[in-house]
Amino acid sequence: MLLNSVIIVLREVLEAALIFSILLALSKQSRIHRTWIIWSLLIGLFGAVIYGINIPLVSEWFDGVGQEVVNALMQYAVYIMLLLYIIILLLYASEPAPETRKLLVIMMVLITSIAMICEGAEILLYFFSVTRSAHHYAAVMMGMIIGASIGISIGFLFYYLLMNICEKWSMIFGLGLLILVSSGMISQATLLMIQADWLPAQMPLWNTSDFLSEKSVLGQLLYALVGYEATPTALQASMYLGGLILPVFIIVLLKLKFKG
Amino acid sequence: MRKSPFIWLLSVIGFIFPGLNVLAATPLIDVEIKNHLFIPSEIIIPENTKVKLVIHNRDETDEEFESYELNREKVIIGNRKGIIFIGPLPAGEYPFFGEFFPKTAQGKVIVK
Repeated sequence: MLLNSVIIVLREVLEAALIFSILLALSKQSRIHRTWIIWSLLIGLFGAVIYGINIPLVSEWFDGVGQEVVNALMQYAVYIMLLLYIIILLLYASEPAPETRKLLVIMMVLITSIAMICEGAEILLYFFSVTRSAHHYAAVMMGMIIGASIGISIGFLFYYLLMNICEKWSMIFGLGLLILVSSGMISQATLLMIQADWLPAQMPLWNTSDFLSEKSVLGQLLYALVGYEATPTALQASMYLGGLILPVFIIVLLKLKFKG
Repeated sequence: MRKSPFIWLLSVIGFIFPGLNVLAATPLIDVEIKNHLFIPSEIIIPENTKVKLVIHNRDETDEEFESYELNREKVIIGNRKGIIFIGPLPAGEYPFFGEFFPKTAQGKVIVK
């Protein structure tokens, strides 16, 4: 139960913490003042509590699959906004206009706050369920605190890593990591849509459970970091791959345009 | 004539969500959670078929239906029900458990 709660909370916190720390590092390099964090924390925390409290109601929507659908839509929205963010960031890097800066800040606030609402509500739901239900809840609380601390620490670690390597590399590394995390979100959102029967179900493409089980600690960590799945369907795998390729394609295209 | 954006949106939705049209054909299986046990604890489903699980939680406490093998995870709040679609799957055994009461809440889906 303790390890379980560590992993559940770590998984949710890690995603949001990584997105937060990468955006923070990249915005600092674009000389954007960090006041935007206050807005995203405010909107994110407030939104997470509102959504978390209402999950029992939301889950009744769409014939009992409301929570899956709403979560998946939020994750798809975060992905699309991350694409827009990358485009605006590159535009801003080549021509730093105040309007572009404003757009960049708005995108960052939206992305981080929606990610926080999505992940935060999951944690709250788990917290409420455990306090209502489980017997050993001191252990669970302990696990949740440990999980959150590990997630936030990894976020800080990446932030300082990105701040301490040269600007060019930190841009490449930061964007690369951002693309990996967001493709993982696309893959999870697609799985939720399949679970809710909003996207067509298929036989799994392959099964790598024997090689690396999703139950193992490494499997769980890779799931959180890059959306590892042992038995993906064709749709899920192609969404993941498409999610990886599209931003890389956009970045290369924009880079060529600015050079030419 | 240009198609209006609304027509485009509708055709995209129709393309993305064909599952909505075949909902009626999906077999339905009811599962109960009672005293932290899944009843029945063994669910037999045919190979290569999508199935709709309706999980009724009869306990006061919440439970999380969780299965790594089925790739599914969903909280079912006390005295409410939850819906999970599983499959199509190849033949085999797919264990699932209740995250909050894993000692007793155990079961498996058997695909034949």
